[in-house]
Parts: sequence; structure tokens; C-alpha cells
Amino acid sequence: MTSVIRTRKLVKTFSKGLRALDEISMEVKKKEVLVVMGPSGSGKSTLIRTFNGLETFDSGELEIVGIPLHSDHNERNVREIRKRVGMVFQQFNLFPHLSILENITLAPIKVQKQNRIEAEEHAMSLLSQMGIITQARKYPSQLSGGEQQRVAIARALALKPELLLFDEPTSALDPERVGEVLDAIRSLAEKGMTMVVVTHEVGFAKEVADKVLFMDSGKVIETSTPEVFFTNAKHERSRKFLNQIGE
Amino acid sequence: MNKKHNLFPYIRRIAFSNSLDTCITLFILLAVFLLSTITIKWLLFGADWAVVIQNYPLYAFGLFPADQRWRPALWLLLLISLTIITLVGPRWRWLRKLLPITWIGVIPLGIVLLSGGLGLLPVASRYWGGVTLTIFLTTCSSLLAFPLGIILAIGRQSDLPLIKFFSSIYIEALRAVPLIAILFFGQLLIPLFFPIGVEINRVIRAVLAFTLFVSAYVAEDIRGGFQSIPKSQEEAAKALGLSKLQITQFVILPQALIIALPALTNQAIGLLQNTSLMAILGLVELLGISRSILANPLFIGRYMEVYVWLAGIYWLICTVMALLASHLEQKVTIEKLTIKN
Repeated sequence: MTSVIRTRKLVKTFSKGLRALDEISMEVKKKEVLVVMGPSGSGKSTLIRTFNGLETFDSGELEIVGIPLHSDHNERNVREIRKRVGMVFQQFNLFPHLSILENITLAPIKVQKQNRIEAEEHAMSLLSQMGIITQARKYPSQLSGGEQQRVAIARALALKPELLLFDEPTSALDPERVGEVLDAIRSLAEKGMTMVVVTHEVGFAKEVADKVLFMDSGKVIETSTPEVFFTNAKHERSRKFLNQIGE
Repeated sequence: MNKKHNLFPYIRRIAFSNSLDTCITLFILLAVFLLSTITIKWLLFGADWAVVIQNYPLYAFGLFPADQRWRPALWLLLLISLTIITLVGPRWRWLRKLLPITWIGVIPLGIVLLSGGLGLLPVASRYWGGVTLTIFLTTCSSLLAFPLGIILAIGRQSDLPLIKFFSSIYIEALRAVPLIAILFFGQLLIPLFFPIGVEINRVIRAVLAFTLFVSAYVAEDIRGGFQSIPKSQEEAAKALGLSKLQITQFVILPQALIIALPALTNQAIGLLQNTSLMAILGLVELLGISRSILANPLFIGRYMEVYVWLAGIYWLICTVMALLASHLEQKVTIEKLTIKN
């Protein structure tokens, strides 16, 4: 199987010498779902944001969907990666001045130069897949958090990405809205979408993840299958973390 | 508060709760009564409104030749219709796409209709005047200052140091100079930069001076809008693969303009009032033509009437502008920018 993400000794240092990423080497293969866990400040968000160039890094090698990215952050490569990699944020980050439909069709029309009719048809099918087709003409502020996040997923899917990145997609949601978003992500996994998900949802990780990557202080502590990680974690640090979150 | 049942106790509580309150209330009522009777008496019986009534065309069109007055009237009418169409917001996409072009066309159309040419009788700019000229100055300067202000605001945010530097210098310099100085500059110095023989119409020079001045303020208003948009909006747009220009054009700028809208309409109203400064520089816009009328021996000493009338017209135009602006704000904002989680 071909690898969608490959990193070798990725290092990012903050101003005070603190390492947000400390020699991260990892790989995600096609159709794999990787769940990234770790305490806050462990660098998991930084890591996932380097995958589409929202964060730069200082040294090491990074290859996303076959495109190499170096510490010089080549603008053309970064944009090429972003066209092929979707991202869903913790705070949804929908565009408040655009309708739901316009939010989803903006990139297909402006970046991929699709015609409007075609882009809107695709957007409507994505919305129905997300179970919110009736909201197409509304504005983001008129939707609940769970619905907004599903719109954000549809927006990320509109460019037909080869890889989807989720940065704590359920952390900003009311507890009763978490399920609907996780269900949407789960159904994408079943369709074979390659995904990296930063999350604290243990139940979701057990069920959907092919691998769990555990990070602390910018280092990869362990990468295991969920079966191993949640019942018999190899590292003391992982077991301590699982204890703290009540598993 | 239930008005019907509680009105009297309410009035007593706010106005007559103790003897001092009662004294103040009675004094204010007396003062209001005296002032309004004097004012109404003067308006109805004391004032001689001939100076207004006999000069309606002058207030409206200045010294524009009587048989050509349909030209400024037509331009004003088109402007009003265009404003209404824009505010109603047509449903058809083709018409919405046409609107910006039409607004740009307002300026050359106004110039042609006023100055003549293309088969119309030429009319020199010294004959342009009255409300027409006031509106012409305001409209043209606003329409030119708006895009210039946007460009300056974007320039000030630019990553390119040179562009950022010049935009900042321009904005700071123009904000540091009083408007009247820039208007003098426009009237007296701009001609020096052009070769002898090339003469630019004085009204156009005024429009340019106003544009230079207002654009700096527009830029600052829009910059305020830029700064209140969370960084996460730009990140979301980047993550979708949009280019820098596309991010500004489709994500950042539209939101910044919605946020800056109240400040921008404020600028437009301020600009309308500031056009009266041109009376000092010899243009016969609304204030200027009134001063000319007062210089007519027939109407000597009728200052009160003319200035009350003027205040009324300015008040009316500004109020209409403010109402249109608030209508526009309601239309564009519709709680779009308040994201709930």
C-alpha cells in the first residue's frame, strides 16, 4: 500500500527552545485511520497542522500525498497539498457571510474552476450525505454546532480530498451533539477515506482507528493498534494518560 | 411598563418626585414653551420666505441655464433610482452583476450631463451649483474614495514592505492634514502640476481633493474591519487551497466591509456636510449659492430665512442618507456575523 503521509525526524522549535515537534517519524497508509491522542500541549495540533502547511517546521522530511514539503515551505507545493487534503477545525471556521451552499462551493468554483451548477450539485449530494440537505440556503449562525461541523466536513470533502485532517472536531460541541459528528466521520472511514483525527473520544478511537498515535511533549511515545493501546499500552506514559482520562 | 395604568405615577416619579425636581421640570417646560412659541411665531409670521420661494431653481441647480436644467435633474433622478434598486436588492443575478458597473458609470454620466458635449450644449463648471453640485461632489468623491480606500487598507496589510510603507505614509499623511488645507491644495496647487493650457475643471479638482482625503479615512475604517476578523477564517480559507488574493477577495474583505459599514456610511454623511467648505473656495454648491442669493440687493438681510432653510435641506438629505444606511446595514448584517457555537 502506498503511504499518504510520511515524516522523518520532523522538528519544530518554538522561540524558547521548546520543541513542539521532536523528531517525529511516522507514516499513514492509504485508507488508514490514524487517531492522535495526547495531553494538551503535547504537539498533536501542531503536528496535524504541518500536514497541510498551516504550520512550518525547522528540519526533517515530510511527504504528503506524494508531494514533498521541506522546511523552506515552498508556496507552490503547499497549495498543491491543500487542494488535495481537507481539514476540519475544532471551531468549524465556516465563513459567516456565505450561505451553507456557498461555503461548500467556494473552493470547488474558485480553486478547481468547476462550473457553478456542477459544484452545487456535488455540494447538495454531500449535504444529503451529512443529513443536512434542508439547511443549504441558511447561514452558519442559524445552525447548531453539530450541524455547522457537518457542513465543515462537507466543505472539506467538496474538493474530493485524498486525505482528511480533523483537529479535535468534537471538542467545541455540546455533549449531545458529539454523536452526530462522530457518526459522520465513522461513515467516511467505512468508505475508505484516509484520515488523521486528533481527538479525546476513546470510544470513537477504539471503534474506528486502525492505529493510535500517542504524543507527549512533542514526541511520539507509541503507535499501536487500538486493541493494544487501550488495554495493554506499551509505555508507562500512555498508561498514565489513559488513567487520567478515565480509561 | 404598562403605559395606560402607570403613566401618571411614572411621570410623577421621573419629573415631580421632590420639590427640587418639580422646580427643574417646571422651568424646563416654561423654557421649551417660550422657545417654541417664539420659533413658530417667527416661522409663520416674522419670516419673509420670498427669498426661498422665488429661488427654488437656484437652490436646486445653481446658475445652470434654465433650458438645460433637465440634465442635472435627470442625473439626480437616475442616481435616486439606482440607489433604490441597489437597496431593494434585485433577485436576478444578472442585474446584481450589472449594479457595480452602473455605479461606476454614474460619474462619467454625471460629468457628461453637467458639462455637455456629445451633442449637448456645453456648460462651464462655474454654472454648476446648488443641491446638484453638493450631491455631485459627495457621490463622485465617495465612489472614488471607496475603492481607493480598499486598496490602501489592503496595501497596509501587505507582506511587501514597500507597498505597506507607502500605504501607511499616505494614510498617516492625509489624516494629519486638515481637510480645508487639502481643498486649497486641490484648487491652487494641482493646476501647477499640469502643463500650461491644460485646465482641469474646478469641480473635478474638488472631487479629487475630497477623494484623496476621504480615502485615507475609509482605509482606516476597513482596516478596523480586517483586524476584527479572527485568524481562523484565513486559516480555513488557506486549508481549502485558496490563493492569497482569493482569500482577501472572497473571505476577508466581504466580512471586513460588513463590519466597517456603519463607519463607512458615517464617512459619506460627513463628506456631504464637508462639501459646504467649497463655498469658501468659490464653488456655488448649496451653501455657496445661498451666499450668492443673500448678496442680491432684493433679499438683503434675509440671513435667518436662508440659513434656517439651508439647515432644513442639509438635515433632510443627511437624514435620508442615514435611514438608507441603516436599512442597508440591516439588510447585510442579518445576524450573519454572530457565530454561535
